[in-house]
Amino acid sequence: MSRLAALVRRELGVYFVSPLAYITLTALLLISAVAFYGSVKGAVAARAPGDFQGPLFAVVMVVIFSSPLVTMRLLAEEKSKGTIEILLTAPVTEAQVVLSKFLATIALLVFLLAPTFGYALILARYGSVDFGQVFCGYLGVLLLGGALYSLGIFVSSLCSSQITAGLITFAVVILLLIANIVPVENPTLRQIQEFLNLGNNLGDFIKGVVDSSRLVLLLSISGFFLFLATRILETRRWR
Amino acid sequence: MIEVSNLTRSYPGVVAVNGISFKVEKGEIAGFLGPNGAGKSTTMRILTCFIAPTSGSATVAGFDVIRQSMDVRRRVGYLPESNPLYTEMRVEEYLHYRARIKGVAPAERAKRVDGVLERVSLTDRRRCIIQHLSKGLRQRVGIADAIVHNPEIVILDEPTIGLDPAQVREIRELIRALGKEHTVLFSSHILSEVEKVCARVLIINRGRLVEQGTPEEIANRLMKTGRVRLEIRGEGRAMKETLETVPGVARILWAQKGDLNTYVVESSDGRDVRGDLFRCCASKGWEVLELAYERLSLEDVFTLLTETVPQEAAP
Repeated sequence: MSRLAALVRRELGVYFVSPLAYITLTALLLISAVAFYGSVKGAVAARAPGDFQGPLFAVVMVVIFSSPLVTMRLLAEEKSKGTIEILLTAPVTEAQVVLSKFLATIALLVFLLAPTFGYALILARYGSVDFGQVFCGYLGVLLLGGALYSLGIFVSSLCSSQITAGLITFAVVILLLIANIVPVENPTLRQIQEFLNLGNNLGDFIKGVVDSSRLVLLLSISGFFLFLATRILETRRWR
Repeated sequence: MIEVSNLTRSYPGVVAVNGISFKVEKGEIAGFLGPNGAGKSTTMRILTCFIAPTSGSATVAGFDVIRQSMDVRRRVGYLPESNPLYTEMRVEEYLHYRARIKGVAPAERAKRVDGVLERVSLTDRRRCIIQHLSKGLRQRVGIADAIVHNPEIVILDEPTIGLDPAQVREIRELIRALGKEHTVLFSSHILSEVEKVCARVLIINRGRLVEQGTPEEIANRLMKTGRVRLEIRGEGRAMKETLETVPGVARILWAQKGDLNTYVVESSDGRDVRGDLFRCCASKGWEVLELAYERLSLEDVFTLLTETVPQEAAP
């Protein structure tokens, strides 16, 4: 446990030593602030109650597009710099390494999301906010972030260049975003398409509905890719 | 402490390590000597559980490197060839982190880190970011990491590569000091280095172990068997086969340059075979350009073992 904590702490440290965490945070706050301003202004003009869905949607976009940047270096850099050799000759398992990287990305995500909660508090000051819905939305973002990050970690485990890993992850993420526009006749495929689409996976959460099938799906995706990444690392010994 | 038997590791198209066997006893400083690409790093990576052997077995501190990998890793300190470090961390911070993942108890951690910093004389640089350190200092950080959990065995892969002579001397002193508390296996492609530090030398070439023993033993063994250097013009392989039939000849190393063949003939039990060789050549009418008795330094032995052998092995 102490080992895992040490590994997570190091990974998290790297984000804050490099400009990545700060740049992402700045972008996230800027974009969500614009969205927040827009949604409040719109609500006032229409004399409608203010809502939190607009800013949260902007947050989701930043999380989706920044996910390749967050994950690309995780394993690819260890390989290209050779540090994987000191890491895996220390008494830590491949699973611990992969899990620690995943937990670090989730911790980073929580750090990035935390300030946006301020918008909800501002809304609550001047109107009524359904905090159940707000937390449900955050849960959705965390689950989606987890799925994307584990995908990114898996891609990073396959690459020895972080740029390659980033580009591939980015391509897959875009593909998942636009998966819906391809018309599919076959009902089974149609359903798969529905499930893969990122927007679909998140929509309900943002509206305040916890759809257990989506919950299980997103958690399974995370588990699946983390498992694959661990296996990929293990094959290193035999290749 | 380290026991390797019949170890083989192949990569697609290359056999990096080919059936080597050796032992390193507790408290010994053993030097792994060989030219670049001889299979030193591969062997060390197997011993530190980074890669698995294709066949054969290795036990380190009594544990199997495949089945008891975690037990091995807890007892081994390793400095890889390229000395990879997390360069964005501070020296002290890095060593604390390494001590923690290597399972050093929290109460002892600070003491261990202070101890190893002292050991590698980095105490005054403990707050430096690793990136800002010179190569020699980074190498010391790597060595500090290798010993921070007080391992029974320390494996150092080319610890002096790329350092200036003063730094090389420092690292060499450090390795010698490490040998007092740990079993050390270190590799190098520079003979004089190994000769100065090690009690025992393992010479490896093309994935095979070609000699092992103390530097004196190896030199004596090869020098005692009288060595004759013979240079003949003509068809090399056929002549080599003929020369091998001369009584008293134990082994012939052969290098070829154009139609010029250089043979180093080893005789068994120190017998002088120059006369017999001459008569053999004369009877065949070969053009002998040189026939001389050789005194070998360990340097020559190393050169012969690692350079002449592959040419002989070539088809």
